[in-house]
This record gives sequence, C-alpha cells and structure tokens, in this order.
Amino acid sequence: MSNTASIRGPERDEIVSVWNDQIKMRVRIAGTGPALVYFHPAAGLYWDEYLDGLAQDFTVYAPEFPGATPGDPYAIYKVDEYSDLVLIYEEALRKLGLKGAIAVGQSMGGMIACDLAAVFPDLFSKLVCLAPSGMWRDDAPPAIAQLYASAPEKIPGFVFHDPSIPAAQAMFSLPEDPEEIPAAVAQNVWTLGCAGKFMWPFPEHGLRGRLHRITAPTLVLWGKNDRLMPVALAEEFNAGIGNCQVRLYDNCGHILQMEKLDQALADTRAFIA
Amino acid sequence: MKILSFQQLPYRHMPADFASKYDSIVTTPYFDLVDPKLMHQDHVHFLDEMLHAARCGFDGIGTTEHGQSSYDILPNPNLQMAALAYATQSEGLNTALACLGRALGKSKEPLRIAEEYSAIDQISGGRLIAGFPISLSFDANQNQGVPPIDTRPRFAENIMLIDKALKEKEPFAWNGRFNKHAQVNIWPRPVQPSMPVWSPAVGNPATLAGILDRDQVMLYFSWFGPKLTGRIFQRYWDMAEERGRDRNPYRLAFLQCVAVAETDEEAHREYGPYVKAAFNTGLGSIPMSSLGIPGYMDINGVAAVAKDPGDFGMFPIMRTASYEQIVDAQACIVGSVDTVSQQLIELVKQNRIGNLILMVQHGPMPTELTKKNISLLAEKVMPRLRKAWLEMGHADENWEHKWWPTGLPK
Repeated sequence: MSNTASIRGPERDEIVSVWNDQIKMRVRIAGTGPALVYFHPAAGLYWDEYLDGLAQDFTVYAPEFPGATPGDPYAIYKVDEYSDLVLIYEEALRKLGLKGAIAVGQSMGGMIACDLAAVFPDLFSKLVCLAPSGMWRDDAPPAIAQLYASAPEKIPGFVFHDPSIPAAQAMFSLPEDPEEIPAAVAQNVWTLGCAGKFMWPFPEHGLRGRLHRITAPTLVLWGKNDRLMPVALAEEFNAGIGNCQVRLYDNCGHILQMEKLDQALADTRAFIA
Repeated sequence: MKILSFQQLPYRHMPADFASKYDSIVTTPYFDLVDPKLMHQDHVHFLDEMLHAARCGFDGIGTTEHGQSSYDILPNPNLQMAALAYATQSEGLNTALACLGRALGKSKEPLRIAEEYSAIDQISGGRLIAGFPISLSFDANQNQGVPPIDTRPRFAENIMLIDKALKEKEPFAWNGRFNKHAQVNIWPRPVQPSMPVWSPAVGNPATLAGILDRDQVMLYFSWFGPKLTGRIFQRYWDMAEERGRDRNPYRLAFLQCVAVAETDEEAHREYGPYVKAAFNTGLGSIPMSSLGIPGYMDINGVAAVAKDPGDFGMFPIMRTASYEQIVDAQACIVGSVDTVSQQLIELVKQNRIGNLILMVQHGPMPTELTKKNISLLAEKVMPRLRKAWLEMGHADENWEHKWWPTGLPK
C-alpha cells in the first residue's frame, strides 16, 4: 500500500504571474509527456501516488489555489468572485501554453475544471473528475459545512471509507518536530479557509446550468461511500455533460484516488490514452 | 465606575444529560427539548429580571446576540431591548441599555441594525450603548452562511456603513462588496449625536487594535476564567499605549459571572448546581471546532493559538468541568457579600476596569433566585465596589467617561 516514503512528488515549480500581476500562482510540475493539469481539492495540493502514476506518462502541472501556497497566504484576498477565480486559472494555463491539455480535478478541483471546460470549451482535450463538487441535490446534499466544522480527529472518517489505510494515515500525519506543528496546522486550516471562500456553505455556483457547454469527453469517477459529496451527484454530471462516462467504486469514500489507487489510475489512463 | 447587570436567555429546563447528548448550538433539537409553556415563561422571566435590575439601581442592563443556540435565545436582542427601553422609560429609570450587541461579521442587513439601534435610542431617550461584535464563528458561518474568510471583511464594511448611515446628513450611495445601495438615508437617527460603542473581544491582537484605533470600549467576557486569561488585559493596556491611547479605565468593560448569598456555604448550596449546569450545557456544549471554522481566524492567529491556547482558558474542558473547577478559575464568582465584593474589587484593580458587567442568571437558575442575586448585588455589593473605586484613585484622576449614553439633549 501507499505511504509518503514512496511518493516521488513534484520535480520543479513555476511561478506564473496572473490577474494583473496581483497573484503569483505556484504551479508544481513532474513527469514528461503530454500536458495534464491537476486541480487540487479544498484541502490543498497533496501529491499522492495517483499523481506520481500519471507523471510516468504525462507532464503533470498542478496549480495551487490562491492563498494555499506556503508563504503567500493573502493571495486569496485578490479574488473577489468565483467567476474571477475561473478567469485566473485560465490565464495561468494560457501563460503556461497548456491549451489542449488533459484536465483532472478532485472535489473542488473537479468543479473548477468543469467550469473552465464550460466557459472555455476548447481549453481541454479531455476531462477527468474525481468526485467533483459543484452540484446540489436536496436529497443528496454535499456535507462541506459539516466537514469544515468537524473536530480535526473526525475529518479522516469524513473523506475516507476506511481511514485506517496507510495512505490516509500518512496524509493526516503532522510534522515530527513539535516546533513545526503550529505552522503546519495553521497552513492546513488556512488552505481550507481560502477554499471556503467559494466552497462555503456548500459549493454551488450554478454549474448545472453550464454543464451543457462542456464538449470535452469527460470521465467521472466516484466512491459509492462518499460521505462528503454523495455519489448520487454523479448522475447530475452524467445527465448534464454531453459526452460523459461514469465509474463508481465499491467500498470507497471521497478521496477515491487514494482508496482505489489501482482502479482510479487504470480507468484514468484508459480514458486519456 | 459603571456597574451593569447582564443576562443571556437560556432555556432553563434542559435534561440533566444534555451536555452528553447535545450541542448547545446549530443542531440542538428544539421540539425534542422544549415545552412551549416553559419557553414562554423563560422569555417573560428574562424581561422581569432585567427590569428588576434596572429598578434596583444598576447603571445599565445588557444582553448579547446569538442565533440557533439554546444557551442564549436572543437572535435579535433589540426586540427585548426595545421592550425594556419602553418599560424603563415609563418608570423614569435612567438605566443604560447595552446591546452587546449586534454581530456585524454575521449581518446581511447592517442598515436594519442602524435603524433598530436608532429606534431604541429614541424610545429610551438616548440611553443606548451600541455593541458591535464581529460574531462567533458558528453564528456567522454555520448559522448565517457567511464564508468564514469573509467574516472580518464583512464586519469591517458593515461597521463603516453603519457609522456613516447614523451620521451622514445627506443621502449617500454605498457600493461595497457586501452592501450595495443607491441611497442611504435612515429614519430615525439616534437621539445621541454619537452613540457609545462597545466591542467584544477575546484577546485577538488584531481585534484589540481595531477597537483602540476606532476609539471604542473593549468588552471582555470572562467566561473562560479570568484567573487563566488575565494576561489579555496587560496586552490591551500595552497596546493602548503603543497606539497612542490613554489609560482611561472606561476603555475597558469586563463581564463577570457572579452569584451572591448571605454566606459562602449558602451561596454554593443555592447557586452551585445552576452554575455548573450553565457552563456544562451552555458555552461548554459549543464544539471547539465551531468557534474557529477554517478561514474565520487569520493564519497567524491559528498558528498562535496552536502554539499557546491560553487565551481560551478553561473552555476546552467546560463541557465536563466540575463546579470546583469553574469557581477556581473564577469563571463564576460565588459566595457571600464579602467574598464576592473582595474578588470583584481585586479584578477591577488588577485589570483597570471602568465598566463592570455582572452576569446574574446562570443556566437553569429560576427567577426567584435570579432576582435575589440581583437584589443582593445592588444593595450590598455595589456600594462596596463604588467605595473601593474611589479609594483606587481613578475618580481623582478625573477620567472622562466618553463611552456612556448622554440621554436627551439638555
């Protein structure tokens, strides 16, 4: 099974100046091959084995959400509206010359990727969404506010079907040096806080009405035991996007690329090959 | 010095196992827990007791605002304060009315708050103290749906809008991030040309700096145990000096829970169970995580709290705290007239408190006992406090109380 020791991680960073030079967006990069853009979830960019796996065949570009980059917490204050956020990402990708790239987005990142694909239909060649947010159903409401207001020890159970797996344990581990813990905790909390600007009280910015504009072939992956974004929401993406496939995983929670690494990698590779 | 009586409005009939079964905010099941007749009774008793305090001679009476909470059922305290404004006015009582207050990081209708405050000031003939808290995280974020990271920016914009709306002579346009109005021209305006503003703070240096820079009163609620959190006042007075403000003790309002009886033993016996239940089932039953939802507190604030949570005093153990722990931390001062007076005088002296707010009702405490507490405080404790204040020499220093209601124009 996975653990942090075996993760290769990003190989280099690029800083892209966007939004009239008000935001320096850090983009973490690894691998060689065709371009693939990864949009991280609300908790920030956690480079896992799924990204390592994709980097074997693709050049993975992972832009960081404004405010989520260590040392640059107040970039979030330059983003007023969700529509501005979409434009900021588009500008970063354009400046990196990534038009036509494959897009992969997890949770909040899936919502952002969908909106980019809806607003700029030629931006991505293919789209892979891992339990994307952005949708609401009264009978299947996302539990974002409940997650944000949870005691820290309850969060693993929210996002994993089985929080005891080593990959989950590694993801929630704190620095060994007690001196480093306050800053690490503060960064984790702040990253969620920045994402909360557009995720609170739940992430719903009218994406349903824009899904029909997505022309890129789309794959949606979802864990059947997702407590954060109920799996029923997968149907909404399937119904709204013209060219969409859905794969559902048994015994799997929200962070499906860690709980079902082999399946998620295989399905993603087969789709984008 | 000024001495105020203060109450929240808890439902007073919670089951004994409340703290182990429920939270006191957001999710507390109303219909499972509430008898409508008793809820009605609690609302009336609250008003009776507040009026009793005004009749007993307290300089002011005060409340707070909390939505979707069982420990303080005052989603809009201006409703109760309006009733008390009229009642005190009709009896000729010159009691200050402290709304402590309306939470501006939460409010989506700040102009309505300006209008309501103005109305209370009109009914009371200029006796309102206007409280402008930022809002607790659960209230702004969970209850009201404000993204946590927008709480402070919303507060900052709302307080500027209210200030302008209260004073501006001509109609004006407001194009803010959270409020857009083509014309602002509220009716009525307050009786007082400049209503005193008291702003609650728990010790966050950024909040203290804002209060000092706006030249307002810092209002501290000592529920977390002043024995554990006393360092906050040193920080406040040091910051006042750094920011060019004087050491006028009226810059500080301090809320303290108290329960007084004829003897220490009687006080512990009479009030003890209510005081314990109040802390366990009220503040103690707020999940810690609901006080700081990610984004509510600045990244540096989170790092500071992670390193040293001292400003939160006994809060982390409050849900299960014993009565002894509550009393030892001075979260509530319980005892005879001598004991209570002595401990209050020490607090006033140590922290340079010009406005002492006494919280007189605790959790399930019934109305007769609450009125007894109020009466004893007014008759026996207040005179001693006022005497001690004179002996401290603040009166000789001639500090002007710039933050007290001015009443009707002379």
